[in-house]
Amino acid sequence: MLMKATPPCPTPAVSKARWPMVLRCLTALIGGYAATAGLSALSARLLPIDRAEATGWALILSILLYPVIALWCFHEPRLGRILAGVWGSALLCAALLWWLGVRA
Amino acid sequence: MNGSLRRNMAWIHGWLGLVAGWLLFAMFLTGTASYFRPEITRWMQPEVDAHAVPAGVAATSAVRYLQSVGPDDEAWYLSLPTDREPVTRVFITPNAKAADTGHNRPNELSLDGVTGQPVHGRETRGGEHFYRFHFQLQLPYPWGRWLASLCALFMLGAIISGVVTHKRIFADFFTLRWNKGQRSWLDAHNVSAVLALPYHAVITYTGLITLVVMYMPYPILSNYAKPADFAQAAYRYPAETAAAGRAAPLVPVAPLIADAQARWHAPAAIVTIRNPNDAAAAVTIYRSPRASLNARGPTLTYSGATGRLIAASGDAGPALTTAGVMLGLHVAQFARPALRWTLFGLGLTGAAMVGTGLLLWTAARRRPNAAPFFGLRLVERLNIATIVGLPIGMAAFLLANRLIPADLPGRADREVAAMFWTWGVVALLQFARPTRRAWREGFALGALAFAAIPLANAVTTGRGLPGSLLRDDTLFAAFDLAMLAIAILFGVASWRAGRPPRPAARRIRQTETIHA
Repeated sequence: MLMKATPPCPTPAVSKARWPMVLRCLTALIGGYAATAGLSALSARLLPIDRAEATGWALILSILLYPVIALWCFHEPRLGRILAGVWGSALLCAALLWWLGVRA
Repeated sequence: MNGSLRRNMAWIHGWLGLVAGWLLFAMFLTGTASYFRPEITRWMQPEVDAHAVPAGVAATSAVRYLQSVGPDDEAWYLSLPTDREPVTRVFITPNAKAADTGHNRPNELSLDGVTGQPVHGRETRGGEHFYRFHFQLQLPYPWGRWLASLCALFMLGAIISGVVTHKRIFADFFTLRWNKGQRSWLDAHNVSAVLALPYHAVITYTGLITLVVMYMPYPILSNYAKPADFAQAAYRYPAETAAAGRAAPLVPVAPLIADAQARWHAPAAIVTIRNPNDAAAAVTIYRSPRASLNARGPTLTYSGATGRLIAASGDAGPALTTAGVMLGLHVAQFARPALRWTLFGLGLTGAAMVGTGLLLWTAARRRPNAAPFFGLRLVERLNIATIVGLPIGMAAFLLANRLIPADLPGRADREVAAMFWTWGVVALLQFARPTRRAWREGFALGALAFAAIPLANAVTTGRGLPGSLLRDDTLFAAFDLAMLAIAILFGVASWRAGRPPRPAARRIRQTETIHA
């Protein structure tokens, strides 16, 4: 990290309370996984191409999607936005997938 | 988080690297060794001296042997010899009824290509051990694979955030300031990471492809009621037909292999024979992965009763071809020796990048004239345990192969135990020494352990170093020389770790900003 070479312990200027950081980490790790699962499954289900191909693209791109979502969780300053964005998209995708069902 | 993008990414880069660093170091090192998986196995079975023969000859001799021991088996799987692995490797799926009667016969064999008779080498896991550890971490299925996947995802996150962190990615190509304490570790981390960045990014991404179906099955589940249907489409397995129950002699397989090779203009690598000696027998031939970047090559299936071509796997679409090529890039079976050694070197830069990153974490937090805090001491000790301990453990695995009697029952497990016991003992004993001495003595022990490998080889086998060079025994000569090179590397590391840092190097100018 960018910092002076002399600090006792390098921590960026985050809130002193622990729980926002815990929530952030859990959202990045577990929420990010759930959102990646939902978004990649939904795009695999909806892509109007051969289903083996749609599945293949979703699998390949899910690997990039997860770290990007997780890293965004540590960049966005507003915790509320992270919680809503990550868990919200996971739930929305799950609901849509449940409604759509498996591709016939 | 309230900071610039670069500041936030630098912060998360440091923590991602710390949490996953030790396992990533182990994965990089064992994965790099796995570029030479068959070669390590051959070195570890010095009494086996087979020579590769043409595919048709090897398949014919193997089928002749299998007809004599299990004509009613359900399936035979033959991995044909190559110059890298000059025996025919056979896996037998016994008949369900025969399996119940419990006849005692090994279902995994190595056969001589010419005679078709089993080849008996000492019992060992060989290169397979490093390869398995690389993605299973010696943990029960599926936990090791999940943990390895998670570490690889941390790695990918660390690469992305590390690139964002970099202000001067081009200038870092040329920056390496020696003997400047923390500054030097940062430069070393940057040089090893930036120079080989394309390799690190590709090897991490493609490594994640190998296990994606396990940890991210949802795109499959949303499209397929039966996930096996996706496997069929993606891997282009031939359809599994049931036995007809009518006997029909198996046609010779050599002409089928010749036909397949002529169609592909490329060698065959694997032959599977389902329901041999049945009217519904099917012989499937897989193209060699060395023929293409795509690890999932085409297959041709012939009737085992008539010899007619009955099925050919079609071309996969762009997505599945991309996945096949990504897998191919990771396992690198296409690589000829020069490229293979290059990849081996790049793999070592990966281990160096992770290792220097871990050292940097401690260097950035150490303050002159202050006792290190608990976390710092812990990280420092875990760094020694991993960076020094694991290579010594790997050397112990190779030494155990030469020192445990060749005919001792259960010796394969003992070799593996030797690696983990050695690693564990080194990891514990270093606590008894001050850190600087622990580094120095650890590296010296590593140098001794690796130098002992060619020695043990020369004493216990007839394929020792001077002889192997004179006899053109390339594999044994290269292996022993590589061990000596590693020993020299450890010796240099020990010598450098023993020198006290220059007083000036300890103080970093207050104005200078650094990454950690």
